[in-house]
Amino acid sequence: MSGGTPSAKTVVTMASPLCVLLLWHGLTAARVFPPEVLVSPQAVLAAFDSLIRTGELARHLGESLQRLLWGFGIGSGSGLLFGLAMALSVTFSRLFDPLFQALRQVPVLAFIPLLILVFGIDEVFKIVIIAKAAFFPTALSTLDGVRGVPKAWFEVARIYRTPLPALVWRVLIPATVPAVLSGVRLSLTRAWLVLVAAELIVADSGIGQMMEMGRQMFRLDVVMVGVIVAGVIGFALDRGFVLLQARMQRWRPPATGAAA
Amino acid sequence: MKAHALYGAAGRLALGLIVPLALFALWDHQARNGGANAFAFVSAAQVGRALRELLHSGDLALAYGSSLKNAFGGLFWGSLAGLLTGAAMALVRPVDWALTPIYHSFRQVPLLGWLPLIGLWFGSGDLSKLIVIGLSAFYPAVLYTYEGLKGVEARMLEVGQLYRLTAWQTFWTIRWPSALPSIFTGLLQSLAFAWIATIGVELLFPSGFGLGTVMQHGQLQARLDIVVVCIVVVGLTGFLINLLVSRLSRHALRWRAVRS
Amino acid sequence: MSIDPRHSAPPAQSPLRQTGALSLKDVRKHFDFKDRALTVLTGFNLDVRPGEFLSIVGPSGCGKSTLLRLISGLDDAYEGSITLDGTRVAGTSLERGLVFQDHRLFPWMTLEDNIGFALIRRDLSKVARNRLVRDHIALVGLDGFEKAYPHQLSGGMTQRAAIARALVNEPKVLLLDEPFGALDALTRVHMQTELQRIWMAQGSTMIMITHDVEEALYLGDRVAVMQAHPGRITHIVDVDLPHPRDRASPLLHRLKDDILAELTATQAGRGDSVVHLAHRRGDAAAG
Repeated sequence: MSGGTPSAKTVVTMASPLCVLLLWHGLTAARVFPPEVLVSPQAVLAAFDSLIRTGELARHLGESLQRLLWGFGIGSGSGLLFGLAMALSVTFSRLFDPLFQALRQVPVLAFIPLLILVFGIDEVFKIVIIAKAAFFPTALSTLDGVRGVPKAWFEVARIYRTPLPALVWRVLIPATVPAVLSGVRLSLTRAWLVLVAAELIVADSGIGQMMEMGRQMFRLDVVMVGVIVAGVIGFALDRGFVLLQARMQRWRPPATGAAA
Repeated sequence: MKAHALYGAAGRLALGLIVPLALFALWDHQARNGGANAFAFVSAAQVGRALRELLHSGDLALAYGSSLKNAFGGLFWGSLAGLLTGAAMALVRPVDWALTPIYHSFRQVPLLGWLPLIGLWFGSGDLSKLIVIGLSAFYPAVLYTYEGLKGVEARMLEVGQLYRLTAWQTFWTIRWPSALPSIFTGLLQSLAFAWIATIGVELLFPSGFGLGTVMQHGQLQARLDIVVVCIVVVGLTGFLINLLVSRLSRHALRWRAVRS
Repeated sequence: MSIDPRHSAPPAQSPLRQTGALSLKDVRKHFDFKDRALTVLTGFNLDVRPGEFLSIVGPSGCGKSTLLRLISGLDDAYEGSITLDGTRVAGTSLERGLVFQDHRLFPWMTLEDNIGFALIRRDLSKVARNRLVRDHIALVGLDGFEKAYPHQLSGGMTQRAAIARALVNEPKVLLLDEPFGALDALTRVHMQTELQRIWMAQGSTMIMITHDVEEALYLGDRVAVMQAHPGRITHIVDVDLPHPRDRASPLLHRLKDDILAELTATQAGRGDSVVHLAHRRGDAAAG
């Protein structure tokens, strides 16, 4: 089965990003493109260094993460409660389902102009738009997760005359946590995406604004630092969440197709 | 029994309308009687007038057509490239090893985070839009094609081995059809992302003409009525596209057991 | 169970087919688990006569399925020799058909496409191909379901389709790996009768693995009894009754008792003993 391939695999896997870097370096060193079009990796590193030393990067990043925390917390928390209410109360679900389904169809970004008009371009707008982005995935997965608990398990609980608190704590919560968590994870990814977009459009600070300023001033190095930082943060958030998720559901067999 | 069901359905519909109607009434009331943020609210009549105005001038049709063109152009190129890349990764192992790390690291960057960079490289014209929209369709196409083709059950491939199929025959009779459900899921996602990206790109790149541009102008002129019309159109389109693709995929995959 | 009068003629022990003689000589097979070798078969010898129906029974884990995978060529990492009509078995071949326990029909193909799938590597005209498919659908009694998808068929019907797919190439040997294991008891009895009819009509050599002793005896000209650790044949029972058979035959029942006694004796010999519960409290649960 193994056939001695793991080493070949490691080599290719390690070599390919290196090749991309080398290609990048080679193109800039040979001046195939003018430096306004393609800056060298060294220039990007230098910009990165100076952004760190002036504290600019830390400031932007701090602002962005604070917004993310608020928006994501509010959005996904209320999404959780909303999803639970939808799953548990028929009346609630009948009252809110049509509105929920209709709003779900509209891409978050389309709400940006509306929210700017209603809330202005201050902090509130950004938090609301992030919360909106985080709300729907969590609400939807909570709803599906709670509704999807197999009836058979309730029957098992009935046979053993399980009391309600034990039913909730030992059966319902473990049964729904995986679905809810995968929704929350999606919420986090969406929140980060929308945050960057919102900061590109209107902001006086934040990683998105840093990139937009870089673009307007033709500072390709700053823009590339922004792209890389945004990617690394997005990756770290998602990874961190996956680790958390794994801790919370150790009983699950490891998923095979879990390409993050 | 039947009358009861009918009553039930009507009742459900009525319940579902309560919340949207109440919100609508509140909104309309705010707009007329001048609440705290009266300037931000527009009455239903105003929205109706804006719709008529946009229809009459032909702006809506023009913007809509151009947005759809952007979305489908990006979808076509992005998902085609994604399909080929995903298939190459799934079928040729060295390609898999080489591209997987690059794919996953690029994917970490929030989609619209690429905008400043792409703006600097390709300007803010149609090409940049096409690239970003294409990228949004590319990611899910790669992932789902890859997982679909990789996920073919070994026991199915054994049947092909039993009847001595060539690699080519195995691909077309076993791998490809068994990957199709996954590929369709990917296409559905590509479509949704392409539409979201279209609106985002049009909001952020003011050149050209599209629904996002119209919204952007509406926002700058504080014309909430125009913004609301656009949101409704965007939402409806998203809904219709979803419906269309799921119908199409259900037709193409009619061999699957219907879930009950 | 009475016998279908159509088939009460003496069995057509095919004058056409004097091929299909399978021979296994000193076959050994082991799997490697992290530097440890697990021996599944060792010194395995078996000769199958042309046109014969051979049943193989044995406890689970005795290497029955491995044996069929070796004969079919799906797995060709073994020592010793497996020959069909004197030619060494290497890889899969259309001469050796295999019916899996799970039907393994492709869900995206109709019944006729599934059966036609077996003919992809055959150089046949469209007409001949369709004819073969149609004939074999009729052989297993599925006429009228040509355009049905697997999920529209019942368990017994999908297994019939799987048999038709395996037979459509008219293989010299048909291997059946617990073909009715997943079916309910009544459908199983019915399918056994059907398989007997198909075998008599077709005349291929058939080797069937099962853990149902009654099934093995009802269908087999001979029944090979296997034991595990490592997998080997302990002895072969000749079932000297003409086909089609009567399930009520006293001989079948006597043989069944013998084989079951042997199989269960070795099981018990592995040191099973009755476990006594320490306490059995009398407080029966209320309600």
